[in-house]
Amino acid sequence: MFPKLDPLLHSELRLAVMSILAGVDEADFTFIKNETGATSGNLSVQIDKLTAAGYITVEKGFKGKMPRTVCRITPAGQEAFSNYVGALKEYLSAGK
Amino acid sequence: MEQNKEMTAQQSLQLITETFNKSRKGILRNSAKYFMLWGVLLTVTSLAIYLLWHCTGKPQWNFLWFAMPLLGYPLAAVLGKYNVAVPQNEVSKMLSGVWSVFGAFAITLSAVAVTLVPMNVTLIIVIIMGLAECMSGVLLKNWPIIIGGFLLGVGGAVFAMLVKSDAQLLIFTLGGVLLLLTGIVMKLQYK
Repeated sequence: MFPKLDPLLHSELRLAVMSILAGVDEADFTFIKNETGATSGNLSVQIDKLTAAGYITVEKGFKGKMPRTVCRITPAGQEAFSNYVGALKEYLSAGK
Repeated sequence: MEQNKEMTAQQSLQLITETFNKSRKGILRNSAKYFMLWGVLLTVTSLAIYLLWHCTGKPQWNFLWFAMPLLGYPLAAVLGKYNVAVPQNEVSKMLSGVWSVFGAFAITLSAVAVTLVPMNVTLIIVIIMGLAECMSGVLLKNWPIIIGGFLLGVGGAVFAMLVKSDAQLLIFTLGGVLLLLTGIVMKLQYK
């Protein structure tokens, strides 16, 4: 019996966001946008979904006079991401 | 990038790997500019002090070393300010830590040597600089940087023992060039 893939992470953009945040302490919205090549609107929607699930936190503030949105992965998000990668590996090893 | 695209397990893993690597490259490429900044500053400062000391015969020109961090830290802050905020990963944090520790040692020992206990500061600083460069190479998994740092530390220590007064400063010029080259190598490695 294969573990079920987390539907929230099984989406291209949300998975990319989680992949970025898993390797850093925090990342700016602009950095994530540049790295994923997503539009601001689309990225905002996906970030809201990840936030609602408790996988990431979002902090809005200012850097000098410029508005700044910082995203961080939560322990629950780290666990979900780790489980997702583990499940993917099981699928792939079973397919060999 | 689409949010609802159906992905196979293979595609998902590939996406994770690619995104992670791309992000890692961007972060380390961003660190390169700080190596280049400090490399240029060290080269220029050491050459300037060497020439001034050599031409005037006054070792007091060494006090100009303290101008380097006074200039370097604000410049580094400016470099960071006008770019998209690039996050830190484990490697960039460790690189930053290694060089901050080096800076703290170098500034404190220089101040102690000037005010309290005279010592061969060049010898000590070139060894810890070589060590910091070597550790940077280990973190970046880059053999030319490891070897460069090792040669700078060991060769610089020998040079500092054999050569006296103003000529000792030339080892820091070489160190500055090595830092600059490290930055260039990082730019190319994480292109």
